[in-house]
Amino acid sequence: MAAPEQKTQEDCSLLPLVHDIIKCMDKDSQDVHQELNKLKTKIQEAREQISTMPGISMSPEQQQQQLQNVREQVRTKNKLLQKYRSLCMFDIPKA
Amino acid sequence: MAVSERSTKERLLSVLDDVEVLSRELIEMLAISRNQKLPQPGEESQILELLVQRDGEFQELMKVAQEQGKVHQEMQLLEKEVEKRDSDIQQLQKQLKEAEHILATAVYQAKEKLKSIEKARKGSISSEEIIKYAHRISASNAVCAPLTWVPGDPRRPYPTDLEMRSGLLGQMSNLPTNGVNGHLPGDALAAGRLPDVLTPQYPWQSSDMSMNMLPPNHSNDFMLEPPGHNKENEDDVEVMSTDSSSSSSDSD
Repeated sequence: MAAPEQKTQEDCSLLPLVHDIIKCMDKDSQDVHQELNKLKTKIQEAREQISTMPGISMSPEQQQQQLQNVREQVRTKNKLLQKYRSLCMFDIPKA
Repeated sequence: MAVSERSTKERLLSVLDDVEVLSRELIEMLAISRNQKLPQPGEESQILELLVQRDGEFQELMKVAQEQGKVHQEMQLLEKEVEKRDSDIQQLQKQLKEAEHILATAVYQAKEKLKSIEKARKGSISSEEIIKYAHRISASNAVCAPLTWVPGDPRRPYPTDLEMRSGLLGQMSNLPTNGVNGHLPGDALAAGRLPDVLTPQYPWQSSDMSMNMLPPNHSNDFMLEPPGHNKENEDDVEVMSTDSSSSSSDSD
């Protein structure tokens, strides 16, 4: 489980691309423009990914609060339903 | 505190913008320093440090965003469950309303029945008395034809004209001192001069008599002359009969 997470973190990082650009600049390589484009593309992809990710329209604390509220709702409704289904208000007298 | 109120999305985009700006500045600075051959290590290293810091923040925020995505999925499942519970509650509510309506109707009807029972109890009548009345009503064959009745039988469920003539009112015209129509039989009764012929007769007895006297196809025909009546009395009786005959002929 740690390896895929580490790979995801590395994917997110933009430092390797910056490092590649600086290396090309040092070598006076013609690939500088290519590397710059890669960096631009990576930043643009990151923006698109962020805009489509679900559940990040609120802060983690707000989301946790909302989660607690929904759990409480489910618990309360389950309890009520159980109570009213098993409720017998009439004492049936023995004939 | 302001940072915690911002959503994760806003923070991610902000950090990404910072990374972009810092990386561009760093590259531009390196390019300028290379061309101009001016050493500016301090500024470059500062920008580099900031860039590394921002990149770290970006990675941390991406981790948080992924966690939030999982929580969001869990919340969606819980919200579906909430919807299901809501529909269960609505169903239960509908059933309870229906049960309430049925029970209210039953209670109302039971109360009405109790009122009727109480009313009947207050006005109770002996069953023997009711049976006696029933016997009297049915004894005159007014409710149902006698078993031996056939079409052509002169008997009727109402007093016929012959029965009326042979009754008290009809016999009043036969009294010798009776010169005025309309004397009440009570006068004769009070005087104690009522002959036996004025004794009230039961309808079936008079109809039996009329059966013997009349032809089989008798209907309410006033022109027939039963024995014992003279012409004058017949006119008076005919007048009287005419008044009552309309209803009797109609009922035929």
